[in-house]
Amino acid sequence: MESLTSAPAIELSHVSKHYGSMQALKDVSLAVQEGEFVVIVGASGCGKSTMLNMIAGFDRPTNGRIHVQGRENTGVNPECGMVFQQYALFPWMTVEDNIAFGLKMKRMSKAERRSRAQEYIDMVGLRGFEKSYPKALSGGMRQRVAIARVLANNPKVMLFDEPFAALDAMTRQVLQEQLVRIYEQQRKTILFITHSIDEALLLSSRIIVMSARPGQVVQDINNDLPHPRNADVQLSERYLELKRHIWHAVQAEVVRSIEAAA
Amino acid sequence: MKAGAITAKYEASSVAAERPHHWRRLRNPLISLISFGTLLLIWEGATSLGLIEPLFLPAPSQIAQRAILMAEQGTLLGHIAASTWRVTVGFLIASLVAIPLGIILGFSRTSRAIFDPILSFLRPLPSMSWIPLSLLWFGIGESQKYSIVFMGAFAPSLLYVIEATKSVDPLLVKAAQNLGARPRDVMIEVILPGSLPQILSGLKVMLGIAWTCVISAELVAAREGLGFMIMNGKEYFQTDTVVLGMVLISITVMATDLVFRFFERRILPWKA
Repeated sequence: MESLTSAPAIELSHVSKHYGSMQALKDVSLAVQEGEFVVIVGASGCGKSTMLNMIAGFDRPTNGRIHVQGRENTGVNPECGMVFQQYALFPWMTVEDNIAFGLKMKRMSKAERRSRAQEYIDMVGLRGFEKSYPKALSGGMRQRVAIARVLANNPKVMLFDEPFAALDAMTRQVLQEQLVRIYEQQRKTILFITHSIDEALLLSSRIIVMSARPGQVVQDINNDLPHPRNADVQLSERYLELKRHIWHAVQAEVVRSIEAAA
Repeated sequence: MKAGAITAKYEASSVAAERPHHWRRLRNPLISLISFGTLLLIWEGATSLGLIEPLFLPAPSQIAQRAILMAEQGTLLGHIAASTWRVTVGFLIASLVAIPLGIILGFSRTSRAIFDPILSFLRPLPSMSWIPLSLLWFGIGESQKYSIVFMGAFAPSLLYVIEATKSVDPLLVKAAQNLGARPRDVMIEVILPGSLPQILSGLKVMLGIAWTCVISAELVAAREGLGFMIMNGKEYFQTDTVVLGMVLISITVMATDLVFRFFERRILPWKA
């Protein structure tokens, strides 16, 4: 099954995950090609985060295999930069030091770290906050630091675990558009988890709908909305069409998970 | 009941708000000062009226005179310096060993399993119980005092540090590993700074214990230091020297605590 010529950026083959008697994921197979922006939507508790954790190497699948850039995961893989919902910034480090952390781990010289960090500070629009501590920043700014921290580390793949879920609607929209810009410039392979269909449509090049627990892939939709994208895309005919389609798929799963819980 | 408490609080704060700002700030220190002054006056009065025998408790003025006399002789500062130095050395060595060791033990289960029996044995031992052995090993010199402070402060400090490492958010460890941190990096870059606030507040308690240790050691065998000063005062029935020694211990411990807090603020700028 494995192709030796052009390995996908991320490949899950028949991945299952059990926690004791609870099955979180059931036989998930998924290949993400290089440069794709794949958004996974699904009801809460469908194993989306479990999947991301396994791709990052924080957790191992019970069955099946996960390959990143053609290599099987054996431990935490720094090639998969993760942006967490709770930011996970180091509170004792300034914005600059947080962003340069991965570079420090690569034993890069201090001067080089500084100039690289500055580049990404500018990219996410945090110039002037280099010496601030995370505590002094708003939620949106903290998440921008977290994104810059991963970008600066230049991983092959970026993983986003509901990164904007804790932000207010306005901030969320600003960050979504910023992320679209960054993706359009850098064309990194991105795997992004959300339960917002609008977010999925705005950001993705491809949308995966997951089933209720145990999580399975139920829909694989190509998002052909044109680039460059901004919030205006939400007014287009095609957008509504796609949204209706995804909504029905997700709705069915949400109902199923509620019934299962009852 | 709850509603009543809230109203009372509201009234209290609204009354305070009407008063000038500086009064509110000075109010409590002023009350403390008055209460302290009153206590001294009663004490002084009770002794000068002969209600208390000076041999059992000398008057504050007599203690002050003793302080001036000893300061003029130059012995006062000598005792303070000797004890402070012993505490500093013993405490620093204990911290310098306990912090890195505690970080490693907090990080690795295996190392914890290795050290657990020794620690379980050391933990319940009061520092006083080390005095005979330390006298055999080190004599009555300075290193014996350091060793008592070290033995008293080390085991509890280590436990504080191990406990502090558990306060570090596991998500931060995850994030660091995700950014390429190896186990050593995680310990130095995440566990150490992440647990430093808890480590420092633990060490602050340890500093108090270190003082207890040094005074005990000096009470048993020493030629100078505040503990020695108290014991020596007792030998010569100079109760004023004894009480003066106690007052000085209290003041010195408070002072070292202030110095510690000063460094704590400088070490943790991100907490401010």
